[in-house]
Amino acid sequence: MKNLQEKSALALQALIQNGATMATAKAGQTSLNELNAAQGEITLYRSTQDKQLSLSAVIKGKRGTLALNSLEEDAVLSSAADCALSALNSQEDEAWGLAPKAEADFDQGCFTPDMDKLLMRTVELMDTIREEYPKVVVEEMTTSHTAFESVYRNSNGACFTSKGGAYAVSLMISGHEGEKTSSFNAAALSLTDLERPFIEAGALRRVLRDAEKQIHTRRLQGKFTGSVVFTPDCLSDILRELISNYASDGVLIDGTSRWKDALHTRVADPRITLSVSPLDSRLTLGERYTSEGFVSEDYRLIDHGVLNSFMLSLYGANKTSKPRALNSASSLVMEAGDQPLKDLISGIERGLLVGRYSGGAANANGEFSGVAKNSFLIENGQVKEAVSEAMIQGNLALMLQNLRGLSLETECDGSNVLPYMAVDGITISGQ
Amino acid sequence: MLQDYLYGAQKLFVPGAHSELRAQCNLTRRVTLLQGNLVANQRSQIQGVSARVYDKGSYGFASLAELSAEAAGKAIQKAGDNARFLSGHSRAHKPALPPLAKGILPPQKDFLDVPQKRYIDFAKGLDDLIARKYPGLQSRAVVISFDSMEKELLTSDGYAAHSLQPRAYLYVFLNGETQDGMPIEIFKAFGGSGSFDRRFTSPEALSEELEMLYKRLLDKQQAVELKAGLKTCILTGELAGMLAHEAVGHTVEADLVFGGSVAGHCLNKAVASPLVSMTDFASRAFGAETPLPVYVDDEGVLAQDQPLIENGILTGYMVNRVLGRHYGMEPKGNARAFLFNDEPLIRMRNTAILPGKDHLQEMIASVEDGYYLMASNNGQADTTGEFMFGITLGYEIVKGKLGRALHDTTISGVAFEMLKTVDRVSDTMDWVSSGFCGKKQPMPVGMGGPALRCQLMVGGK
Repeated sequence: MKNLQEKSALALQALIQNGATMATAKAGQTSLNELNAAQGEITLYRSTQDKQLSLSAVIKGKRGTLALNSLEEDAVLSSAADCALSALNSQEDEAWGLAPKAEADFDQGCFTPDMDKLLMRTVELMDTIREEYPKVVVEEMTTSHTAFESVYRNSNGACFTSKGGAYAVSLMISGHEGEKTSSFNAAALSLTDLERPFIEAGALRRVLRDAEKQIHTRRLQGKFTGSVVFTPDCLSDILRELISNYASDGVLIDGTSRWKDALHTRVADPRITLSVSPLDSRLTLGERYTSEGFVSEDYRLIDHGVLNSFMLSLYGANKTSKPRALNSASSLVMEAGDQPLKDLISGIERGLLVGRYSGGAANANGEFSGVAKNSFLIENGQVKEAVSEAMIQGNLALMLQNLRGLSLETECDGSNVLPYMAVDGITISGQ
Repeated sequence: MLQDYLYGAQKLFVPGAHSELRAQCNLTRRVTLLQGNLVANQRSQIQGVSARVYDKGSYGFASLAELSAEAAGKAIQKAGDNARFLSGHSRAHKPALPPLAKGILPPQKDFLDVPQKRYIDFAKGLDDLIARKYPGLQSRAVVISFDSMEKELLTSDGYAAHSLQPRAYLYVFLNGETQDGMPIEIFKAFGGSGSFDRRFTSPEALSEELEMLYKRLLDKQQAVELKAGLKTCILTGELAGMLAHEAVGHTVEADLVFGGSVAGHCLNKAVASPLVSMTDFASRAFGAETPLPVYVDDEGVLAQDQPLIENGILTGYMVNRVLGRHYGMEPKGNARAFLFNDEPLIRMRNTAILPGKDHLQEMIASVEDGYYLMASNNGQADTTGEFMFGITLGYEIVKGKLGRALHDTTISGVAFEMLKTVDRVSDTMDWVSSGFCGKKQPMPVGMGGPALRCQLMVGGK
């Protein structure tokens, strides 16, 4: 850590000496130990050590950024000079800014890996899948531990030290029987200890169980308007697309966001409360400060259906004269509903339970169309067989207003905490 | 020079084990102008040394963020330790891999690393041009992106090589509105391999293409919704390349085949119309250099073309050394890593459907009721052989003539069924090589093809 303290201070000083009136410097190092497995066998043990130097400089209102993976003194000094030169050649913009002075030390997760135990848990997971889900083929699995240390400084006197580590599990699987195969699906976990078998965490059991049920599918025919229930992991992708389309820097700065004038107005059903909560104790290694140097705080993006905040950086906020978001994280936490999933489904006449969405980016208006993967038909309140070649089409903003319900059950994978979400008014089509 | 850092390191290779040592440097430069605001002005350099050792069926990999002979030695040592850790816990050991041809390739020519000012000035000049010529736009964005991968590779039993793959791209996004106030967008990528100055001279030189792009945006102001369902479509070469990559290419990467992709049951069977042939090209195709040439991969395999579909029959997979042994296929140079600290994975290189004999205008004229699909923003494959890609530009075909533009949509199908519906293949060839292919690591890839007539599932109202 002492080396990181020294190099971040050296970098910041060099940026200021090169003319920066606003500057940030972050020096860090990471260590990764990773096991890779395919088809029930661990085939690769990968160990990497890396360093990071991230610089930004504003000179006469012009900004440049530079990233390097060396902390050698001559590299730090020459990078600072290059960053300043890049800024000088940039374009003046008074919207650039930094957070005021603040100091904090952050210690998260588990810094030192237990590789023997990680290997044991990895083998245990492969054995469990082989015994309990014999039709599942693990196309790819990685289990890993990442440890990091960093020191961030800005020219207003902000200084944050961070140290931490966490384990991660990532699976890509599909179900097989003879020559038939299901769609691939994926599951991921982030954990700070190895106390429990991996199979008990997140959505692993559901994804594995569903993979076996999705081998034989029914080709959807025709077209109808119905209800769609998104699983929590699918919902996280849908919500990120929605936030990018309506609440992020780019679409607010260029004025294309449909929500640009909707702050503090109703944009969703009152049952929806969606927060960006990196400090939630259920989440692993949540963000602790932003790149401008603000200490991160949790905030509600949508509060009982009302748009409470955009996801704007300080630059975006200054550019649009709208309030800055209280963090720059993507840790999504949605309040659960009051109906068990099976009751939510029992009210649906015709629709889909969608486990994964595969589609092009939604257009500027939020219109989306894509393939409903790893999905089941819902008919007369029952989950029926898996479907193939089913497409769904709708509008992201309208979807939040056409809420049928949120489940009581939530899933936490270490990055998000989300329920199942059922919406009406989706065009569902097959051949 | 990267090779200086690996000098003498071969003596550290573990006897009896396969070893690879790689020094690598990735550069990126990026400038983004959004509605005239310079919102991103970035430079990065990521470099280091890595080693991979194969011992009794297990791989160990290690990397350090340093370029030095000492770091190379530490990487080999740690990689060997990791391999032994795994093989010590392994239930079954495997023998050594089949031998490779050995050799040394001459170093590739360097490129000019353009100062950041050049990117900024060009982007501003282009943005000013767009703002001046098309004042009615809702919004505009100009993104300049340059990246390069330089590698120096030493192997215990394959080729040694220096490789350098720079590429420069410029993306233009134009946003407008329909008469009903619905936002519409169109974008295009310009560029290819080489340095920025090799690809771009002045913003004005792009005027003609900008004019065409703007015309397409105006067409989208009157866009209509597609009718969802199975339709006859003409795909441009750009989309045929996307099809080759997403619909077929991923399913015949041997790691996905090993993981259960549908292609595992289709070798030497008909998977497409006899008009369809497809190859993953290494460094040359149709008498010219491929968009992103590969001469030696990161396992030290000398790169050769890999035919995948020949006259409708699936004839090969893309393999690495381990899966080449498993499937009894010769590796052709498909194992590549993105950063210095990444391990080589099976990746496509320049994947293309081969041109045929038909003429595009006649193909369009042959469609009574269908769609002409021209550009895409992303795509995805599946183990089932289902594919998807997003369509961002297309037109109706009505009684053999192009009609109104189409709203953005998604198309999908089952690759080996859809390819059997191909009944016309044009005599032209279009390549694209912008963006990245996603897998565990990103990777620049090329893809291409002729125009195709086929049946596709389209999303719509």
